Amino acid sequence: MNLVLPLPLVQALQVLTIALGAPLVTGVIATAEGRLQGRRGPRLLQPYHDLAKLFGKESLAPTASGLFFVVAPFLALGCYLTVPLLIPVLTSYPLPLGDMGDILGGSFILSLGSFVVAVAAAETGDPYAQLGSSRSKTFGAITEPVMLLVVFTVAIVTGTDLPYVLGATVRSGPDQIVRPAHLLVSAALFMVILFETGRIPVEAHGSTTELGMIEEARTFEHSGPFLAALRWGSWVKQLVLFTIFLNVFVAPWGMSASARLGDVTLAMVALLAKALVLGLVIAVIDTSFAKLRLFKITEFVAAAFLLAVLGLFTLYLGGG
Amino acid sequence: MTTALVLLVIVPLAATVACVWLPLRAAQAATLASGLVSLGLVLTLLWAPGQSVEAGWLMVDPLSLVFLLAVGFLYPAVAAYSIGYLADEANAAAAAGPQAQADFERYARRFSLGLNAFAWAMLCAPAVNGLALLWVAIEVTTVISALLVAIDATDGATEAAWKYVLIASSGLGIGLLATVFMYYAGAQVLGQSYDLAFAPLLQHAAQLPATPVRLAFVLAVLGFGTKVGLFPVHTWLPDAHSEAPSPVSALLSGALLVVSFYAILRYLQVAQLTLGAQFPHDVLLIFGVASLALAALYLLDQRDLKRLLAYSSVEHMGILAIGVGFGAPMAAAGVLLHVLGHAAAKGNAFMGAGVLVRRFGTKDLHRLRGGLDALRWTGPLLLLAVLALSGMPPFALFRSEFQIVVGGFTTSAWAAAALVGLVVIAFAGLAGSITSVLFRPRVAADDQDEVAAMSRAGSGWMLAPVIAGVVVLIVLGVHPPAVLSDLLARGAAELTGGQ
Amino acid sequence: MTDVTQSVPGLYDGVASSIAVVVLLLEFLMLRAAMLRAQVRLYAVQSFAVSLLAVAVAYGRDVPELYVLAALSFLLKAVAVPAVLLRLMRNADAEIAGSGVLGVASEVLVSIVVAGVGFFLVGQLGIESDVLPSAALSLSVAVVLVAFVLMIMRRDVVSQAVGFFSLENGVSLASLVVAAGMPLILEVAFLFDLLVAVVVFGVLMRLHHARTQSLSTEMLTRLRG
Repeated sequence: MNLVLPLPLVQALQVLTIALGAPLVTGVIATAEGRLQGRRGPRLLQPYHDLAKLFGKESLAPTASGLFFVVAPFLALGCYLTVPLLIPVLTSYPLPLGDMGDILGGSFILSLGSFVVAVAAAETGDPYAQLGSSRSKTFGAITEPVMLLVVFTVAIVTGTDLPYVLGATVRSGPDQIVRPAHLLVSAALFMVILFETGRIPVEAHGSTTELGMIEEARTFEHSGPFLAALRWGSWVKQLVLFTIFLNVFVAPWGMSASARLGDVTLAMVALLAKALVLGLVIAVIDTSFAKLRLFKITEFVAAAFLLAVLGLFTLYLGGG
Repeated sequence: MTTALVLLVIVPLAATVACVWLPLRAAQAATLASGLVSLGLVLTLLWAPGQSVEAGWLMVDPLSLVFLLAVGFLYPAVAAYSIGYLADEANAAAAAGPQAQADFERYARRFSLGLNAFAWAMLCAPAVNGLALLWVAIEVTTVISALLVAIDATDGATEAAWKYVLIASSGLGIGLLATVFMYYAGAQVLGQSYDLAFAPLLQHAAQLPATPVRLAFVLAVLGFGTKVGLFPVHTWLPDAHSEAPSPVSALLSGALLVVSFYAILRYLQVAQLTLGAQFPHDVLLIFGVASLALAALYLLDQRDLKRLLAYSSVEHMGILAIGVGFGAPMAAAGVLLHVLGHAAAKGNAFMGAGVLVRRFGTKDLHRLRGGLDALRWTGPLLLLAVLALSGMPPFALFRSEFQIVVGGFTTSAWAAAALVGLVVIAFAGLAGSITSVLFRPRVAADDQDEVAAMSRAGSGWMLAPVIAGVVVLIVLGVHPPAVLSDLLARGAAELTGGQ
Repeated sequence: MTDVTQSVPGLYDGVASSIAVVVLLLEFLMLRAAMLRAQVRLYAVQSFAVSLLAVAVAYGRDVPELYVLAALSFLLKAVAVPAVLLRLMRNADAEIAGSGVLGVASEVLVSIVVAGVGFFLVGQLGIESDVLPSAALSLSVAVVLVAFVLMIMRRDVVSQAVGFFSLENGVSLASLVVAAGMPLILEVAFLFDLLVAVVVFGVLMRLHHARTQSLSTEMLTRLRG
């Protein structure tokens, strides 16, 4: 267990952990939700079965669609899987490629992924898919400033916007955690995550009513391996966001400080455990609140914006 | 002298409590007695030796004594006036049956109760020692007077009372913020845990940190200015003054506004020692000129008699602010005299207007006609009150405005010129409206519906305080007694930092 | 890793400012809350937060008087005042929801701007307190300003009254920052004053409801000019 892994391997493990752990987190949330609602819910490993099944099916594309429709799901998945290279997934120290991009870069790559999906959906000519992509871009335009404010606040707190540094700052003592700026920004980020992952109160996850859909509607025309790639991509995106939230903002503990195999393995387990706890919290939120009317979503985002702005205010003008 | 001071806050309170139990007539007598005793006590304090009288939380010096005089004069005047004011309604209620009579009893009792409590709070405000207690007393005046404004329970009264209590309380919230910042400033020198009493604060005012004091002063002008009726936070004032029963309007305008102004003066005292005179004076000049300009414009085109008088109050508060803003000792003495003159004149005007409104059953200036013929006594007296308010000699307000303007030309000529110009406009508006009410003959068509109202008689109770007011106005205008001139001079010296 | 550009506030400061932030957030929630009852409850929670901050100051800065103040203000503002208001609303079973001049999102945006101005101005003043971090002062001024927005934007007597009471909470917060040492007797006098104001607000609200059969202030437009 004292085998020291080469750093590129650790970096690859970061990506692998996210890629392979993502379906599990999704499965746990779905199961927990089922239990909370008095159902038995799907099996924990159901998402893996789904993926396997979808990859084995034939795929159909609308006649109007072009090459981009086919490429987009994999492009998006690729985008989402690039981000784990940049953020602290397993290690508390920056890995060789970790300084390729900061938080801003990470969130740009995430946005690029969802942009690709939206364009592909728009290309199909299907009204529901287009509705989903236009909605997700409309609301995305409001969540983007929130994300930016979060990044700015982090930048002011740490003097840099490298996610590793913020994690280290938070670990440095309880006085860094109870800073109002940190709490507010974390709360704002959490709300953005709820929005980005299509959870209540923004969107009913896995619902079948097209009129309330945002993210889900975009995948209507895809099938087979393309659909699998899209699904997988959205799960990966979810776990990436969870990881940023946990390992950078809220709970940057249990990460490996070395490249030893034992530590890294432990970090994998810790990450999945933290993500599962967060998933349970989200499952509880999912079942205890009602979905907002579509036009009320701006209010939800306005609230997140408010939190982020206040965070910036307290920090920049109030010294808090 | 200490006894007199303590009695001054006990007597009206006792009268308030007594009004809960006593039968109506006795309650009214107690109110009047308490008013006269209070006036006597204030007059006794006039002859107190030394600069100030202190008793525990209470403290009276020349500055606060001026404001006590204003309240102390209006309290018995309004108490007497309301006996006559309620007598009218008593007759009407007696005619309407036992139910109406019982309703009236309850109304009249609440009225006397409120009157005493209101006067008590207003006597407390200048008598307490310290900015914190001053705020408390002024907030109490707000809530009590809001109930008095609403006491008629008409639609208009309800609306006016709600606006009043909301706007004035919010303003006082800002005033509380001012108190807190002043405390902070004082704590830097006097240490934590002191009680914001005036003397130590003034003594160390020069060492206080400038920023918090500046903040506290601006917040105080804005916050307490809400209750003074300074532009732009005067919006509640015309509503409350016009919808309240006339005796309450007289107290609101003559006493309540200036008591809040007193609070601003206390902040000014500290601020000009800490910051120098320039900044606080400029602030007051700006607020004063703005209020005066607004009031002058509204006076020109006003349809409602009591709103007319209310805007005249805004005008006079503007004059007070400008006068203090001049900073000259002569202007300051003029301001203090103006406080007394305004109390007497505006009290008279509202009490006279109350009779007029009763007799004609309307406040609409276009329907009030021929007042001089209809009201043999009140008509001329109202005319005198309006002339006094317009600053005509030989009344007190002429003397005070003259002092203010003369003082002003030595320090801030532009503001003094603006003052004169705007006062002339205000005079045109006020005098124009009132003379048409009094002199223009009645239109025949209007007579029919007002004959019934005409039959009610104005009583001696409603006349006596108005006559007393005229006497005071003339005495103060022609030759103020030596003791009063001395008081005003000492108060002005206090206000201008003893220059 | 520790190139921290700003001086890090201590743990106590962090807790205190966080509570102050909660007070401001509750003010924003009041602005958002459509249900009048919810608004009153939010006010109760806000008062509780202010009392909590008083306890924190009493403990952290060793000002034992503040324990008494915290207890009194909790009893009065978090229990008595909301109870009175809720009782009034039970008797006046008219509307349950108030209405605003603007939509909620715009109201929040306006308030953000207003609060930002407050933050900026207080930051410019450079008032330092040795009791609480200066962020708390900025926050309290922001609470006061947002309370004004609430009173101006909402069109019903309950919201306006709650706006005024929460304004007072903002001032209490400010007084904890800059005047924590104020003698207890004065603080109690302030609280007593608030109680009187609540009673009068209550009486006028009932009168208003009796006259108009409604809690809305839309029809209060008779008096102008």
